[in-house]
Amino acid sequence: MEAAKSGGIPVAEVIGDAYGKLLQNASYRYFALVLGAPVNLFTLLVHRTRTAGDIHTSVLRETREELLASGLQKELQADFTDQLQSKARFFGQQLTDTELEAEAQKLTAERFEHMAAQRAERRLQEQGLTRSTFISTFRSLLQHPLFLPLSFIPGLPLYLLIWLYSSPYLKYIFERLVMTVFVIFGVAVLVFTILYISPFDPAVNILGQTATDAQIIEFNRVYGLDQSYLVQLWDNIKGIAMFDLGKSFAGNEEIVSAIGRKFPVTLELTLFSLLMAVGIAIPIGIISAAKPNSWFDYTFMLIALIGLSIPSFWQGLVFILGFSIKLQWLPATFNPGNWLTFIMPVVVLGTGLTAAIARMTRASTLEVIHEDYIITATAKGLSKRKVLLKHAVRNALIPIVTVIGLQFGAMLGGAAVTEKVFNISGLGSYIVDKQFIPDIPAIMGGVVYTAITISLINAIIDILYAFVDPRIRSKMKQY
Amino acid sequence: MVNTNADRRAAQLRLTTSQDYRQAGFAWVGSLIITLVLLLGSYDWEREAFKPYIGIACLIYGIFTLIQVLVTLLIRRDLILKGDIRARTRALGYIQLLSLVTANVFLVTAALQLIQKRKSPEYTLAVYTLLTQIAVIGISALNLYKPYVADTFLTGMFVLLAVAVFHLLVVVLTARFVSRRQISRKLVWIAYPLLLTSLTGNLFALALGIILLVRIRNRDNPAVAGWEDVLERMTRNTTAMLGLLFIAFLFSVSVCSYVTFDYGMAVDNNYSLILQPPSLAYPLGTDNFGRCLFTRIIFGARISLIVGVMSTVLPLLLGGTLGAISGYYGRYTDNIIMRALDVLYAIPGILLAIAIIAAFGANTVNLILALSVGAIPTYARTMRANVLQVSTYEYVDAARAFGSSNRSIIFKHIVPNSLAPMIVKATLTIGGAVISTSSLSFLGLGIEPHIPEWGNILKLGSTYLETNSYLAIFPGLAIIALVLSFNFFGDGLRDALDPKMD
Repeated sequence: MEAAKSGGIPVAEVIGDAYGKLLQNASYRYFALVLGAPVNLFTLLVHRTRTAGDIHTSVLRETREELLASGLQKELQADFTDQLQSKARFFGQQLTDTELEAEAQKLTAERFEHMAAQRAERRLQEQGLTRSTFISTFRSLLQHPLFLPLSFIPGLPLYLLIWLYSSPYLKYIFERLVMTVFVIFGVAVLVFTILYISPFDPAVNILGQTATDAQIIEFNRVYGLDQSYLVQLWDNIKGIAMFDLGKSFAGNEEIVSAIGRKFPVTLELTLFSLLMAVGIAIPIGIISAAKPNSWFDYTFMLIALIGLSIPSFWQGLVFILGFSIKLQWLPATFNPGNWLTFIMPVVVLGTGLTAAIARMTRASTLEVIHEDYIITATAKGLSKRKVLLKHAVRNALIPIVTVIGLQFGAMLGGAAVTEKVFNISGLGSYIVDKQFIPDIPAIMGGVVYTAITISLINAIIDILYAFVDPRIRSKMKQY
Repeated sequence: MVNTNADRRAAQLRLTTSQDYRQAGFAWVGSLIITLVLLLGSYDWEREAFKPYIGIACLIYGIFTLIQVLVTLLIRRDLILKGDIRARTRALGYIQLLSLVTANVFLVTAALQLIQKRKSPEYTLAVYTLLTQIAVIGISALNLYKPYVADTFLTGMFVLLAVAVFHLLVVVLTARFVSRRQISRKLVWIAYPLLLTSLTGNLFALALGIILLVRIRNRDNPAVAGWEDVLERMTRNTTAMLGLLFIAFLFSVSVCSYVTFDYGMAVDNNYSLILQPPSLAYPLGTDNFGRCLFTRIIFGARISLIVGVMSTVLPLLLGGTLGAISGYYGRYTDNIIMRALDVLYAIPGILLAIAIIAAFGANTVNLILALSVGAIPTYARTMRANVLQVSTYEYVDAARAFGSSNRSIIFKHIVPNSLAPMIVKATLTIGGAVISTSSLSFLGLGIEPHIPEWGNILKLGSTYLETNSYLAIFPGLAIIALVLSFNFFGDGLRDALDPKMD
């Protein structure tokens, strides 16, 4: 606290600089102007009163008059007409004189204003003066000891924004999170809209064809289906944010608590599959890349391609046939208490991912292996193993982790099929079951919460990258 | 010392660059795998007995595999000692051609490559055209054992046989009159009939006909077009060509099945034949309604192909256009389009498809649309990245300096030059679309249940897993074969279009 008080002037300078940069960024400018409206208005007022007698305006006026008198405008006009004519000749275009004239005049006016502004600026500089701008006013105000404490409360959002903008890391994380929130919002709107424009009438679906009009009206009133699109949309988004989506159409159960019960099962299944996939695929991919076109490479890449081509439901059925019916090693249906029942679903769900990661690891490592720094590492006498593990794999891992993050989403979706085959009561099979009714709020909740999980995971991976990968770090600091 | 080392290296290089040696090696491995599978299948584990028919098949495959191993060793010796394969070794290829009778596609393709010394891409294509035709005839001929056949069966078979004879003629003619550098003008007379025979759904015939015509037209032009190199690399890639062979075969069978197969076999109930095990009349057995599983799978192929291709082409076009606009115009356009697509990207494809189907009902059109919507963002991203890269090239600046309009720059310069990665991506994702289609059908959310589609057949079969497991296994194998073929083809296409991957 002491340091901040005694170093008040540097703090003010830092804030001023950061705000200056921020205002040059088109997308941040509007937010800054709106968020800091009181502070900005005050600054603008001060700026206006100061500019009224500003020396810049008078210098500019003088320069313009001088330039006009010197006949510069005529010269420019002639130049431009000439240029336009030769251009038209080159492209074989036919231009009328009036068109040419208008075009030349436009260009002349532009150039003239530009030159006048430049000269005025130079003159001011010669006289040792600077032009007063909005941001310079803001800076000079910040120097005032009372301005910062007084404006702190009304300008808090603005100062927070400036604080975020001044650090590249914070800015990056903030932007990524804003984007995630936007995506989640978009997903909710999209899924709701798809289900809203459905040609089916949920009331008739649930109550049956024989339902009376009064019953249908009552059903629509209870579930809020008689409201307008926007009201329903707002209710749904609010429901998703507050974890309260009401009751499902059929079965009369709380949707969010049902999802809360089933989601951990799916998540557990997916996580174990992911672990299995990473554990098997990455070593295989690295060895394949280290010995390209060898027997090992061919065999495992063929197996990976086959793994990529097997539909998971078929693989599940064959596993049940082989391991449960014929050999009777593993139980066929899932049972939360028995970890043996977990093996087959995990393997089935993880097969496709294992294959994808193995192929990706091989491709990515092969690409890195031909880089110059690998040759350098070999040349300085490192062992092959060290070159591979320390230099090649570490750099190859970056795209792999991105792929894993993206594939994780596909897995959460694909879990629906595996769950149906092994009769697991996870979120995927919940959505599929509700689909047949169709129970709109339940489907909406299931899909949107899955999408939210995926978006958050991808956002976390991206943010972690920013701290792990020096290349991303340096890129971040540049802009 | 130095000399022997250099010699050994030269011999090694000859071995690795020889297409014949590579393919011969691939052929015996592939053939050995089939032999082993047959060996495993020939023993009945439950009754502890030997199955004679599969045993004989395994023996024949084993003999041909052994010959192939010998041939491979001979090729190796020839290459190391002489630097070239002797005519006598090549003649052994004619023996291996006999394996055509056993439908050993690995050995036949290797043999057909071996007997021809100077291979042009056209020769390879002609060979695959013929193989596709023979495979279609073979599969259709299985109908002969059925109690009754379609009315048009005999006419259809004769037409197919005539086409096959013509294709054999094409193989001989391309072997003699087409080489890398020159092509006889008279081949126009086979190119047009070849295009006509592609009406049987033979994609190789179509490709070969077009390529012959283009090459004849450009025969006086000494420059080698870029696509010829791609074609050359593609036809040298055995796995990619085998994948394409299966796709072409399936497509051709789907087309020919209108004539040579009886749809009634696939959909009409026949309660006297419920759950029969595989026999000659019903090669893959019958299901719980007495319908022929084999015929059902054949008729299911067209649905899988149509849905797979359509749900790839639609997002390819839509996503490609959005990506191109986004990449070319940049700034706000880019931001708006890509952020909107980010929303789509966040929802897993299959869940989005389920939501769309829940809203609009389960049928084929909705299924295609549902699968397409989820795939748009990936295509848009790929296209955008390509366009961003291509836009920085000099020829685009040059076009702009010449006063070309934005439209003509996009469609004449940028799009054609950024298509290659899109095509590769599309081929690699058709397989995924086929899997998604059958997965959704399996869940009861895809194709209408009365249509014989592979996912539907599997769904029915899964209820008889314990007693009649073949009902679930065979359609699954068909799906795997198709998806694997698309993946092999896509991998080959990627390697062919992107030489730096070699």
